[in-house]
Amino acid sequence: MNDKKIKNIIIIILIPLCIALGVIIFKDRKYNLISMIIAILSCIPIFLTFEKGETSTRRIVIIAVMIAISVAGRVAFTALQGFKPVAAIVIITAIYLGAEAGFLTGSMSAIISNIYFGQGPWTPCQMFSWGMIGFIAGLPFMQKLLLKNRVVLSIYGIFSGIIFSLIMDIWTTLSIDGIYNMKRYMAAVATSFPFMAIYAISNVVFLMLALKPFGEKLERIKIKYGI
Amino acid sequence: MKSFSSFHPTILFLYYLLVIFISMFTMNPVILGCSLVGSILFFSMMNSPRAILKDIIYYFLVFILIAITNPIFSHNGETVLFFLNDKPVTVEAIIYGIAIGTMLIAVIFWSKSYSQVMTSDKFVYLFGRAIPKLSLVLSMALRFIPMFKEQIKKVNQVQKTLGLYSSDSITDRVLSGIRVLNSVLTWSLENAINQADSMKSRGYGLKGRTNFSLFKFDKRDMTILIAIILISVIVVLGFAFNIFEFYYYPAISILKLSRVGILEYIFIFILMILPFIIEVKENIHWKLLRSKI
Repeated sequence: MNDKKIKNIIIIILIPLCIALGVIIFKDRKYNLISMIIAILSCIPIFLTFEKGETSTRRIVIIAVMIAISVAGRVAFTALQGFKPVAAIVIITAIYLGAEAGFLTGSMSAIISNIYFGQGPWTPCQMFSWGMIGFIAGLPFMQKLLLKNRVVLSIYGIFSGIIFSLIMDIWTTLSIDGIYNMKRYMAAVATSFPFMAIYAISNVVFLMLALKPFGEKLERIKIKYGI
Repeated sequence: MKSFSSFHPTILFLYYLLVIFISMFTMNPVILGCSLVGSILFFSMMNSPRAILKDIIYYFLVFILIAITNPIFSHNGETVLFFLNDKPVTVEAIIYGIAIGTMLIAVIFWSKSYSQVMTSDKFVYLFGRAIPKLSLVLSMALRFIPMFKEQIKKVNQVQKTLGLYSSDSITDRVLSGIRVLNSVLTWSLENAINQADSMKSRGYGLKGRTNFSLFKFDKRDMTILIAIILISVIVVLGFAFNIFEFYYYPAISILKLSRVGILEYIFIFILMILPFIIEVKENIHWKLLRSKI
């Protein structure tokens, strides 16, 4: 009960408070700092649920394995430029292990892959967007839909590639302008379009090919060890 | 020499939090300049000249790009230089672009040295008690990554020897990648379950267990902690009394340089180059000791 209260406090009070502070103290000009703080705050409720909940050691270790696979997986595809399996592995984890595990895999993958590829002010934003991609895929009705329908799965793969790119472009705009500048945003979206396209396509390809074999493995582990 | 990183993790985390927050909080050009100088100086103490040069050149280009593009997207300001496609290009917008570029690159350099100084063991030590499960996930994943990379290479080589997917076409590359990853997943999941069971049987997560750590909070840490707290109180007071207030639009405001203001800037400068000073001091100390031998 108590933890639920903390979570509600964070969402209901702290985030609007943060925005209000941004408007009052920074005269509505410091979107970069405020957005970074909000991105961190919005990760906290799920982190807290995981922290206080009854999670078995086995489940914790499986999540750690999926995170490590998503980061180390880049090595398996070094021959292919721009082919990053992170989002696809996050989605697969979410489908088989649930929304919470999906969010954790996404957000922790962001932290860890940035340890290798460069930590920066963009980390919280990346954590949030990969985390949400996992969270949405792990919601019970989405799980069923994504498993049954290949068309929905590929649409979700494209969607997650695009949404990740769009959210990161918002970060670019806010960090350069300090406020939201529509023209700058459009320019950022245009320049990142090729990456977005590769990203979306690679998500779909990876999901189509890997969902079944990877899923079988996770399902088997789940049944064998009762996770 | 890496002297700054030998401080207690709490100090390091606090310092980086403070420095990055101040840099992102204000648009005051003097503070941003101090932050940029401090971050680059400290970064250059930690890395080889070649790596430093490469990074500085790359981020200088990013900086130029931001400074040049800002007037294209922002038409605020009253001093118009010329018109581009019927849109005014103003001095204020260019200078604002320079300031924001300085901020961005300072924060990036701070983050770069942060990930070198705050290694994962320090992070886990700091947050291990507050978020035990998450820091366990983090440290396990960090250990798994090199292990998996090694395994991925091994499996890849074996499959190549077997003659699977050895052509250079894209389909083959994708298929072989997924096949390799798939087999590594099987291997790692079984391994991981064993590890989890072994941890459980040794009492992981039970009450009263302590964690091993190498970090001790000693006198040196106390001194630097007091110094950091004092400086930050002075800086916060400076913000509270609007000493650092600075505007770019509609016209660039004049830097207020009262006697107190100069003092405040000196404190900020000291705060920003603190890690650099510590490194230099330690280097000199080391050279002196060596020359005595």
